[in-house]
Amino acid sequence: MKILVPTKRVPDTELKIRLTADGSGVDEAQLSYIVNPFDAIALEEAIRMREGAHPDAEIIVVGIGGADYEKQLRTGLAMGADRALHVGSEESLDPWNAAQLLLAVVRRESPDLVLLGKQAVDDDANQTGQFLAALLDWPQATFASKIEFAEDAVRVDRETDLGIETVQVRLPAVITADLRLNEPRYASLPSIMKARKKPIEEISAADLGVTLEPRVRVVGFEIASAERTCRKVATADELIECLRNEAKVL
Amino acid sequence: MTTAIETADVIVIGAGVAGLSTAMQLAKRGQKVVVVERERLGNGSTGRAAGLLGQLRGTEAHTAMLMDGVEVVKELEREADVEIFIQTGSLRIAETPDRAQEIKDLVAMGKSIDFNIDHVSREQVAEMLPYMKTDDLIDACFCPTDGHLQPAELVSAYVTVGKAHGVIFHNNLPVEKILVEGGRVKGVRTARGEFHAAVVVNAGGPWSYLVAELADQKLATAALGHYYLATRPDPDHVVDRLSPAIRNRHHRIYARPDAGGLLVGMYEAEPVEYDVEDLPVDFDMSTMKAARDDFNVALLIHSAQQRYPWINERTPMTITHGIMTFTPDGKPFCGAMSDVAGLFHCAGFSGHGIVQSPTIGVIMADLILNGSTKYDIEAIEADRFFDIPGYQTRPEVKEKCRNMFASYYGRVEGKTATASNS
Repeated sequence: MKILVPTKRVPDTELKIRLTADGSGVDEAQLSYIVNPFDAIALEEAIRMREGAHPDAEIIVVGIGGADYEKQLRTGLAMGADRALHVGSEESLDPWNAAQLLLAVVRRESPDLVLLGKQAVDDDANQTGQFLAALLDWPQATFASKIEFAEDAVRVDRETDLGIETVQVRLPAVITADLRLNEPRYASLPSIMKARKKPIEEISAADLGVTLEPRVRVVGFEIASAERTCRKVATADELIECLRNEAKVL
Repeated sequence: MTTAIETADVIVIGAGVAGLSTAMQLAKRGQKVVVVERERLGNGSTGRAAGLLGQLRGTEAHTAMLMDGVEVVKELEREADVEIFIQTGSLRIAETPDRAQEIKDLVAMGKSIDFNIDHVSREQVAEMLPYMKTDDLIDACFCPTDGHLQPAELVSAYVTVGKAHGVIFHNNLPVEKILVEGGRVKGVRTARGEFHAAVVVNAGGPWSYLVAELADQKLATAALGHYYLATRPDPDHVVDRLSPAIRNRHHRIYARPDAGGLLVGMYEAEPVEYDVEDLPVDFDMSTMKAARDDFNVALLIHSAQQRYPWINERTPMTITHGIMTFTPDGKPFCGAMSDVAGLFHCAGFSGHGIVQSPTIGVIMADLILNGSTKYDIEAIEADRFFDIPGYQTRPEVKEKCRNMFASYYGRVEGKTATASNS
């Protein structure tokens, strides 16, 4: 069993995001990055598979991004991935191009399962997993809140607006992780030590034979207004009045 | 002089528990107090604190101060109608002979001043804390009147009562300069203008040494990182909300019940240092986040596991990461220095700001209004390192504060130790 866990690093969602003066992008000077939380959940699930039904599983964590991505990949290795693959890319990729790179990585590594977050919390595109499954012509199960192995197939509970939907997919497959799938662990002291010696392979888009062709162009950014005002209301009737006439949500 | 946008009797810089308690006590004594805060009320170290209250300390003066603090808190609870003090009792536990000796000394000291503390057996500890490993303990002592103060409720009470007595609060307003004229403080300058008062209090917490520099003074504080974990409620390991707090110096941990789970914090040997001047100007301590492979978190979980074997890196938990303000001797700086009249410091609580704040507010108000207090404050005077070689440059101060933090639980207290900090 070989599990590929593609990750994206995203700005720490709790920090105040600042834009560059011309509004063309996010000011990276005071930015700190974290592993996209949904990807961390995907990685945790892969580790639990190895701790459970698949003790022989090999887990490869993949990161696409700039040279300083190593820190986040090291985190993945400390959590329990066996090795890491860093696909160098300076520009921010749209989901289609990320999927193209991941397609080439899958062709190279031949995993049985690709497990990644349902979306990245920076652009909330929610497309990469789906694009990748389509490009591979593999079955996909998105928004997984529970994953169980059954013979040569995988049974996945999906969180939909209508409730929990259970689907079964044959391997190889692409599964994307939702919030309630698990709660990622903190690395233990021994695994932090071990992670320092685990390999991170550097590879470029050219090495993978991929020519990146952006399909989405970011035109501009603006900070959503953070102004909030609070007011105490005396009665439920007054609250309804406010919701109806001021907020106009009723 | 520039016209002031506001004039007061006292300006307090910093709205953590130290500043809020001081402001409230001054206002209760009829002073017009303005609090200026760089970010928001109670959101620095105060907002990340565990709030453990252990009243029996190495000196009688310190113990008396903490015991009086409980009375101040009880009055606050009535005035603000909130529950602040959770009286769980507290245990100190020992698994080595030298730690057992510490406990023996502490109990003897406590009894000598009629403090309610005594040895308890391993079986009694196991009964009080069924979720804790006890088979390796050789001694323990229990103090039924200890517990913890809930930091958020304490802040809310200081603010509520302070407001009722006229304290004015300004959020998101960093102080740019402390105005001094002819050796006397005149007020502060902010982005919104000048605030004038004859007394200014530096309650800047981790920022306190930078605030002192605004008046060309040196304050020997350093900002050091601290972590604790809080497990989520777990039916297999029920943590009663009134189960006693513990201090386990051997493993460098403390623990107390927290919202149905267990809170465990650690004073590690190698704390993370922060140069506060390098943090963003609008730095918000509540956004500090530990990476999944943070070494100190791994160390914390490892140490917690020694005492609570059911805790491991997979245990559902939240990690709280904050900054503490340490001093070279672990004691705060409370009072003025001789070179600027009217400028008072109130910072450097070295991990004990929440529990010291109730009485510290009284002491600060005493010092500001009367120039003296009934409390023995020799150990916490602000000018105790003034001009003392080895405490002057930032690298010197940082090293001494770091050593203090590292020895905090690490050092074994001898019988002759005069200043236990456990």
